[in-house]
Amino acid sequence: MSQIYNDPIGHWVVVVVAMALLLFVVLTATAYTVWFERVALGRIQRRPGPNRVGPFGLMQLAADGVKLAFKESFIPEKTDRIIYVLAPTIGVAAAFMAWAVIPIGLWGNAVYWIADVNVGILVIFAVSSLNVYAIVLGGYASNNKYSLLGGLRSAAQLISYEMALGLALVPTFMIAGSLRLRDIAAYTVSWGPYHGPIPLIILTPIGFLIYLISATAETNRTPFDLPEAEQELIGGFLTEYSGLKFTMYYLAEYLNVITVSTLAVLLFFGAWYLGPVPPVIAFLVKVVLVIFLYIWLRGTFPRLRYDMLMRLGWKVLLPLALANVIVTAIVLVAVS
Amino acid sequence: MAIAVFFVAAAIAVLGGIGVITFHQPIRSVLSLVLVMLALSVIFLLLSAQFVFAVQIIVYAGAVMVLFLFVITLLGPARELGRGRLRYQGWLSAVFVLVLLGLMWTMLQGVQYRQPDKADLNFFGTVQAIAVGLFTTYLYPFELTSILLLVAAIGAIYLSRKHIDEL
Repeated sequence: MSQIYNDPIGHWVVVVVAMALLLFVVLTATAYTVWFERVALGRIQRRPGPNRVGPFGLMQLAADGVKLAFKESFIPEKTDRIIYVLAPTIGVAAAFMAWAVIPIGLWGNAVYWIADVNVGILVIFAVSSLNVYAIVLGGYASNNKYSLLGGLRSAAQLISYEMALGLALVPTFMIAGSLRLRDIAAYTVSWGPYHGPIPLIILTPIGFLIYLISATAETNRTPFDLPEAEQELIGGFLTEYSGLKFTMYYLAEYLNVITVSTLAVLLFFGAWYLGPVPPVIAFLVKVVLVIFLYIWLRGTFPRLRYDMLMRLGWKVLLPLALANVIVTAIVLVAVS
Repeated sequence: MAIAVFFVAAAIAVLGGIGVITFHQPIRSVLSLVLVMLALSVIFLLLSAQFVFAVQIIVYAGAVMVLFLFVITLLGPARELGRGRLRYQGWLSAVFVLVLLGLMWTMLQGVQYRQPDKADLNFFGTVQAIAVGLFTTYLYPFELTSILLLVAAIGAIYLSRKHIDEL
């Protein structure tokens, strides 16, 4: 495998094949995440959820996709058409780019990756920070007060929680000693008789808690879905979007949910290591469990008020994350 | 390969720069500036400065430009006014452009394309390398810059508070 990677042409072949495969797998995964969420939310609210199209409603998303594709594609008058069309495209592109640096363990010691960057996690932050453009530009180009307010709320929210999100992960890097996702995933310890990989959540539980909260805010999901709070803002930045452009926003949102769940597994739950279980299956199971955690949060928490959101971000999570970094540094120095 | 990527990124950066000053809608100018930032980050990546690449996008494209966007969307889709041109503006700008080009030409004498020294690409431009530089050789400039930024932030907060009191 490494020989193919080192050969210049072989490398390109591997990368192109991997990207095509990734596109297929990630798009399918996104569709079934939506299905999973609708079923899980249905059960939480004591109703069956989608169960008409196909067995267990599994074809519901295909039906919805066809419906959305044939809807009238509407562009509001007196608006910047280029920006209106560009906005959802940015969202999808940013959501997909993060997958360029995510490694996945396949079988035995074989690991899949497209780009093995030594600042992998920073690249994910970089592309996910572009996501805010999709929402702000969409809100602006819709030429609609509610959309604009949704977009502005989102800009403030994403900037506020990005800080806490980044700082929450710093202890993980300090423990693993690397920003390369593959190194963090393969972090091993020798505790007495035990020698092997451990889930890093044992060492930084507070880091995971902050990550969980900030990542929910970053993906605009309940209880932090103020940008599209339907009681106040109709559909927020989504109000004026329909058809395939609406689908693109939707796709980007669920893709981001999968990305943050995958990152949580890579950084806090020991990646694809789970005793004798084959890596790819262990990884999938863990990712699905974390996605379920997000759905569970959505099903059980009420939405925060805007001032509570800002207070939580700046006055609770940020100081907590900073304290977590300092304490981890002291402990690391004391131990070594 | 790398040189082709460089020229594409450089062309995008220059076109984005032209876009910043020629578009009449402020929002398009902002987006052009974002394009410049992204193109610059690609050039950093070509120099194997991976950390600077990521930080360039996170800080400039992800935070600074979003604040610009924030202000412009808040003000609404106003077109840039300012039809009032200075007298002799065309001639003056031509002279300035010539002087600037001459200055750049003299500065770029003797500059050649070269690959970065491939001393150790695993170390060059990584977080460790930058951290070692920041906390040993450049410790004082680094700390002084952070104090400067702190002073600027406090100053900005003070000025905006005073404005509220007057209202």
